[in-house]
Amino acid sequence: MAHDWQPDFEQLVDQHQAMVFSLALRMTGDRGLAEEIAQDVFLEMDRHLNRIESPDHACFWLRRVAINRSADALRRRRVRRFDLWVEVEEHHGVPVAERASPLGARLEHLLATLPEPQRAALVLRYQEDLTPEEIASTLATPLATVKSHLQRGLKLLRAKAESHLKEFVRAKDRTHGTTLDGRV
Amino acid sequence: MEPHSMDEFEQELRQALERRPAPPSLKRRLMERRRAQPAQSHAVAWQRLAASLALAAVLAGAGQWTWRAREERRRGEAARAQVLVALRITGHALNRMNQQLASHGRAQQ
Repeated sequence: MAHDWQPDFEQLVDQHQAMVFSLALRMTGDRGLAEEIAQDVFLEMDRHLNRIESPDHACFWLRRVAINRSADALRRRRVRRFDLWVEVEEHHGVPVAERASPLGARLEHLLATLPEPQRAALVLRYQEDLTPEEIASTLATPLATVKSHLQRGLKLLRAKAESHLKEFVRAKDRTHGTTLDGRV
Repeated sequence: MEPHSMDEFEQELRQALERRPAPPSLKRRLMERRRAQPAQSHAVAWQRLAASLALAAVLAGAGQWTWRAREERRRGEAARAQVLVALRITGHALNRMNQQLASHGRAQQ
């Protein structure tokens, strides 16, 4: 099918680099790897630019390939997700301005501990604001499976968040108590 | 703040998962890699050509060796057939000579 839209590679990069990078970052938990994956995804798009039919198609294609390449990278590196986030903090130093609230940062951290399919579904749902139908289409997965991943992932994340937050609040209280004791 | 309802939790999650700006180095490195690609593809094309030529040379050598072996076998079989014919002719000649000697001996008796 002929299409009138002429894609401009550089413009597509400007428009979608944050999306592709964030998808790869949330899937792998490693800023360096995410940047590498994002570059690979855009270079792959450059090779297939003549097949991209519209801006929406470009966005859909980039999301799908970013998730797939991230999953491939995870499989290759056999990443230990939780540890990677420690590595992120230590070696790749996320700029302060980019950090979310303490709870947000913890949620992002905990997201990295979920199984890969659940993480992919949740990232597409809450980062990209996609409907379950759109997620199913992006991941080429049955809708029922996507709904199940979303439900289970959210439940697991909620349980983990509640347990971690209790510890977080207790630790905060302890720190606060020590300071008061110190003053007295 | 601890999330109490799923909606609140989802809202918090949505905020936590806002898109992060890509590092400034991403586009720069990407464009560098993109510019380097044609040169890389030329190098790959040359490598492929060299590999094809090497493969063609190997195949040609193997073909020639097979043809030579087959030709030698054919010549050997032809020589063997000639020897057999010669032996048959010699056998016939000896038989005939034996018969003549036998008939000559009978005539003398």
